[in-house]
Amino acid sequence: MIQLTNIDKYYDSKFQRTYVLKDIILEVKEGEFLSVMGPSGSGKSTLLNIIGLMDSPSSGKYLLDGNSVLDLKEKVRVDYHRNFISFIFQAYHLIEEMTVYENIETPLIYKGVKSHDRESMVADLLDRFNIVAKKDLFPQQLSGGQQQLVGIARAIISKPKLLLADEPTGNLHSTQGEMIMETLKELNNEGMTIIHVTHNEKFAQYGKRIIRLEDGNIRSDTNRKT
Amino acid sequence: MLKHNFLLIFRNFKRFKSSFFINLVGLSTGLACTLLIYLWVNDELNFDKFHEKGDRIFQVMENREIEGSIKTTGQTQDFLARVLAEEMPEIELATVVTPPNFFPSFTLSLAEKQVKGVAKFVGKDFLNIFSYPLLAGNKNTILANKNGIVISESLAKSLFRTIDNCVGKSVEWQIMDLKRLVSITGVFKDVPVNSSEQFDFLLTFDAFKDLIGIKGEEMNWSGSAPFFTYVLLKEKTNVDNLNTKVADLIKRKSKDDQHRTLFLKLYADKYLYGNYKNGIEAGGRIAYVNLFSIIAIFILLIACINFMNLSTAKASRRIMEVGIKKVFGAQRKTLVWQYMIESMLLTLLSLLVALVLVKLLLPRFSEITGKHLELLFGTRLTLASVIITLLTAILAGSYPALYLSGFSPIMLLKRQFSSSLGELWSRKGLVIFQFAISVIFIVSVLVVYKQIEYIQNKNLGFDKDNVLYFETDGKVIGNAETFISEVKNISGVVNASSMLGNFISTPEGGGMPGKIQWKGKEMILAGAAVNYELLELLGIEIKEGRTFSRLFATDQNKVIYNEAAIEAFGLKDPVGKIVDGQEILGVVKNFHFQSLHELIKPFCFRLEPQAGTSILVKIRKGTEEKTINELQKLYQSYNPGLVFNYKFLDQDFQAQYVAEKRVALLSRYFAVLALIISCLGLFGLASFMIEKRTKEIAIRKVSGSSKIEIVLLLTNDFTKMVIVSIFVALPISFFMVSRWLENYAYRIELDWLYFFGAGVIALLTAWLTIGIQTIRAAKINPAKSLASE
Ligand SMILES: Nc1ncnc2c1ncn2[C@@H]1O[C@H](COP(=O)(O)OP(=O)(O)O)[C@@H](O)[C@H]1O
Ligand SMILES: [Mg+2]
Repeated sequence: MIQLTNIDKYYDSKFQRTYVLKDIILEVKEGEFLSVMGPSGSGKSTLLNIIGLMDSPSSGKYLLDGNSVLDLKEKVRVDYHRNFISFIFQAYHLIEEMTVYENIETPLIYKGVKSHDRESMVADLLDRFNIVAKKDLFPQQLSGGQQQLVGIARAIISKPKLLLADEPTGNLHSTQGEMIMETLKELNNEGMTIIHVTHNEKFAQYGKRIIRLEDGNIRSDTNRKT
Repeated sequence: MLKHNFLLIFRNFKRFKSSFFINLVGLSTGLACTLLIYLWVNDELNFDKFHEKGDRIFQVMENREIEGSIKTTGQTQDFLARVLAEEMPEIELATVVTPPNFFPSFTLSLAEKQVKGVAKFVGKDFLNIFSYPLLAGNKNTILANKNGIVISESLAKSLFRTIDNCVGKSVEWQIMDLKRLVSITGVFKDVPVNSSEQFDFLLTFDAFKDLIGIKGEEMNWSGSAPFFTYVLLKEKTNVDNLNTKVADLIKRKSKDDQHRTLFLKLYADKYLYGNYKNGIEAGGRIAYVNLFSIIAIFILLIACINFMNLSTAKASRRIMEVGIKKVFGAQRKTLVWQYMIESMLLTLLSLLVALVLVKLLLPRFSEITGKHLELLFGTRLTLASVIITLLTAILAGSYPALYLSGFSPIMLLKRQFSSSLGELWSRKGLVIFQFAISVIFIVSVLVVYKQIEYIQNKNLGFDKDNVLYFETDGKVIGNAETFISEVKNISGVVNASSMLGNFISTPEGGGMPGKIQWKGKEMILAGAAVNYELLELLGIEIKEGRTFSRLFATDQNKVIYNEAAIEAFGLKDPVGKIVDGQEILGVVKNFHFQSLHELIKPFCFRLEPQAGTSILVKIRKGTEEKTINELQKLYQSYNPGLVFNYKFLDQDFQAQYVAEKRVALLSRYFAVLALIISCLGLFGLASFMIEKRTKEIAIRKVSGSSKIEIVLLLTNDFTKMVIVSIFVALPISFFMVSRWLENYAYRIELDWLYFFGAGVIALLTAWLTIGIQTIRAAKINPAKSLASE
């Protein structure tokens, strides 16, 4: 599904060029559950952003689902974000002035789904995550774990093929974090490709494959024995 | 999607309550100003525009070259209309009329009833050229009968209580010692207020010719006459071609008049473009129309800037919202629309508030502008408000919309929340712009105020105070001398006299222009025919020689000049010398017989006690009410049933400056508004800035900064902006007020104090505004705000 070849990412400042990613070669197949680990500043987020079409590499090739996705027009990129790729964030990033229900509904609105269909889709997810009772609350009224559940619900409502999560458990207590990881695992079992960044060894083990970044290089790439 | 947007917008308003109110207040007052000014401008632009054939109605004007300069006048001879209609096939109809304000009011009598009204003598095609709709009578024959009269609806009502069946009835009109019995041939709908010709009834010009003894065929092209000539061109006439034909008419007819050129001016343009300088059209009221349109735009702009600044200032809080939306598939244009709709909604809301404000302020505004303005929603006003609102919404919303929608999700993910340098600069620039405009307004208000004060206190060379005058009517006419001496017997009367015409009349000032020959050249000289003691009554000072006196019978052939005239003649020791056959009796000090716009010109007093048409009375201060009562009794003992209409000279004097007084009053309101709206914006901006710097403030407090230091620190940025705006505003306002003052021959000196004062006012208000915020910020508890991070 994802094929990165010789991806470089660097920033030029006045006197020097700093590489954030250097010569990254990475292939991720459909259905994989990939954990990305590495010290802070090693380029994990940058890698995820490039994969998620939010940042572009300085050089290299990127095939997504067999198509080159560098230098996309806004319309095409927006299409990928509506139908193919979705995100979960460490800080949840729920929109404060929207209720739980409205937050989850947002991607469908941009996708142009009819209001009637939206209703049943959101209802299904609320049901699945056991948050029906919270649907009219505002994010600030929820616990961190609940907020992240809403974040996941929002991310998967448009049935994306690829789910990217940048430290989704970073702000959570371990029990809540575990619940989130269980949810991700379940989604992966249903066939969704997932890449997540984590600092937590235990959570990393939820992935079927773990890569470790260091100074912009992939130091190790191991498949978890099952 | 739309519902979703509205929901978000509504929640956003709730979240940012203070910006919401600042914007609402700013935009609604801005819109209210614009709408009020629109109503006024619209009224001005529609003045004299109601005539159906308006695009073909022209006034014949004349340029006279005298001593190297060209004087433009609409005054023509009575036969010009006839000659033009005969000789120019392009002219469909032509008419001669007596000009507006030519006569004092007439008295119409029907049996015991007496009504005063404004009369106009017009040629027979007058009603076929202009559109004054008739309620009774036949348009084509109504002015054919020399002894006919066409009266207005309200005149008919006050004479007969109804407009039915009044055609054919006889009424008598009277002015001074003239009276005629005429029969009513028709009734017209009252002349609309937006007409520069105002009259209550029409009489025929043929009757006027009889009255003053103009013979039918007499044509003396060299003479001068005060009449107006209007023509109606045939459809599709090329005006430029006709103008070249008309131009030489007088030159062709009269060898002695090679300095006189005729031209046609669109009647509908006269109201707004009535001024001429050296033969070239030089604006007129249109200057005020433009000025106020610009003021409206600027006030609205200031309010829009608040919206822009507050939207971008709160952007750091909305950056997340934008990023998320983009991540989940919102296109930029969708977001642009969302923010545009937000500004449209706010503007629409402001429009509603503005309409209420307009409704409330309209009576006062009408009073200030001297108009009858109404908020009537026709297509025009609706369209105008829609366009104004839409433009405001776009202007206010486009920058934040483009700015906000431009955030990339990457910024959100990387937490690059700091504002860019460009953004800060543009925000500062906009604040500077706002305050610069406010400062310009304040300088203008100060200067206009000072100039008007100067006008009020200027020694005019005569004493206008406590002098009232009224026209000689009815029985007073033959018995003026007795009447005057009886007036003098009233205890509150200081002095009484009479003169021909008015001493001050707008806008050219008093005095009849006359021609004299001096050293082989023709000179135009203003002058007045006066009675004994008029100069004393008015307190005009004698410089040399003496004033008219009853002790010398020969004074009737002698004249008194002002200093300017003597200077123009180049005479030394003028008393006793002869100018154009008349001996100089005395010289008076210069006095302002015209408004202070004009330099004092040569003026001449002649003694003609019998010629008086108005009686002037100087009253002892404090006895006005009682004295006027007695005057009225005396007047009515001569003229039972007639209304005693009097006016104070001071009223006429003040009337010379109506326009600038209106401007002064309005600009004061607008300046205050501009400043308030700017400060509102500053208030909102300051609160955002302080919010951003809470942590810094807390740290500074912890490390021992005093409250004062913190207040100064926070105020610093804004102070700099306001000071820059003052420096931007000063040259612009200097240029503007100097230009304005050039309209006055007599004016105040521009003092740096006005500019300094305006700067201080702006700075103080800004400080007051920010001060409220910064003092609150300086009081914050550092422990609390650091803990919350
Ligand atoms: N716009 C930028 N300019 C310069 N350096 C940047 C920029 N964005 C990120 N970086 C640098 O790239 C490196 C990698 O960042 P990131 O991918 O966020 O690391 P991680 O997520 O692994 O902690 C960091 O050292 C960061 O300072
Ligand atoms: Mg990171």
